[in-house]
Amino acid sequence: MSGAYHAHMDGIGWAASAMNAARVRLDTATENLANGSTDGFRKTDVRGFLTARGVAMERSRSAAQGPLRRTGRPFDLAIIGSGEFRVRGSDGRAVSTRNGAFTRDRFSRLVDDAGRVLLGNRGPVRVPDGARIEENGSVTRNGIVLERIALPAGSSVRSGFLESSNVDAIGEMIDVLTAQRSFESAQKVLSAIDQTRERASTQVAQLK
Amino acid sequence: MNKALYAAASGMAAQQQNLEIISENLSNADVAGFKGAAATFDDVAAPGGTSLGTASIGTHTVFTQGKLMHSGGPFDLAIDGPGFFAVVDERGRHAYTRSGEFSRSADGTLRTPQGWRLQGVRIPDNALSATVADDGTVTVRTAKGTSVCGRIRLTEFAAPEFLRSDGGTLFFATRASGKPRSVEPGSPGGPAVKFGMLEKSNVTIIEAMMQILAAQRAYEANAKGVQAADEMMRIADNLQRG
Repeated sequence: MSGAYHAHMDGIGWAASAMNAARVRLDTATENLANGSTDGFRKTDVRGFLTARGVAMERSRSAAQGPLRRTGRPFDLAIIGSGEFRVRGSDGRAVSTRNGAFTRDRFSRLVDDAGRVLLGNRGPVRVPDGARIEENGSVTRNGIVLERIALPAGSSVRSGFLESSNVDAIGEMIDVLTAQRSFESAQKVLSAIDQTRERASTQVAQLK
Repeated sequence: MNKALYAAASGMAAQQQNLEIISENLSNADVAGFKGAAATFDDVAAPGGTSLGTASIGTHTVFTQGKLMHSGGPFDLAIDGPGFFAVVDERGRHAYTRSGEFSRSADGTLRTPQGWRLQGVRIPDNALSATVADDGTVTVRTAKGTSVCGRIRLTEFAAPEFLRSDGGTLFFATRASGKPRSVEPGSPGGPAVKFGMLEKSNVTIIEAMMQILAAQRAYEANAKGVQAADEMMRIADNLQRG
């Protein structure tokens, strides 16, 4: 570690970076916990590692499949594997989501609870009466493919299911506690260094 | 820590909303023809992709079939498949329901417990008993023999999830639900009317209880996040005071 040690890093710098790392861990854990009931949500993982400037945190979006939950609603869709649904809001902006809680509207389009329409290979997907959504994402009626929900190779879509959030509440709770404790420890280290320096600056002068 | 505080608080608010919906479902778990609701949550993403917590984007009624059970009422009806009974009140307002708890009123019409009249059937005074076939045909037996006295038709909508609910078992047509479309029950693959049966609520007590427990735990977990953020802010605050 000595070779990589940064000239400007002293004890206070290290303790401060540890406090900052704990803050990032808490932010991430609470974001994840808040989305425990957000279908299709993918949690953010954090990983701490040492750098020349102290403890750094790396955030990355988890790719772990969330558990599928049976709903029985024909237009609830869950993606197994990678990929996302493209939905477009009334403002015309298209966004990606893995939340497939769709309802069929009177124009046979699939819309989510925010009123955004599901997009297929040519505009909004329409599922007319008697049509079904196949596992490969195609909308078929009597064996004829009407349109297609774009999915990456190897992924499939399951109707009648939703993908629950992949957040594991227990793991996140542990992260909340870990963050709090490491924040406290780093603060104690920082205070100890601070007191030592204070003593150095006030008591050295009193030497007789 | 501020971000953590708001994220955790948004999680608490979401779970509270979730609990309200589940409790509403649970309190109607014994109501024939009741359809449960579900909320959809979405993560609130800040520019750059970090999440700021969660927010509800809306709720929807879940129109899955409830279990059919035999019941004691002489005019109990259930729908096996999609569709609604069309009912009308004294003021001529139209409503749609899957609750088939009808009883015969003095004028021979079949009415819901709230007094809404089922359209298409009137039981004559001299009827001794009545039966309803799967295709909705109402047959009465009188002292003189049996005769058909009406046919119950069902109503379907292009988008039933967009019907407006009265909070109970009545629904009203909206622009988004599409126009009511009358269908004859009993055709192959279509809905059927089941006489002497009721459709149970599609909310099951066990499922709703499990959802309540999960929502409570999630609420507590988010509350812990709020506490932790608060505690860390206190520590940081003390740091500055030296």
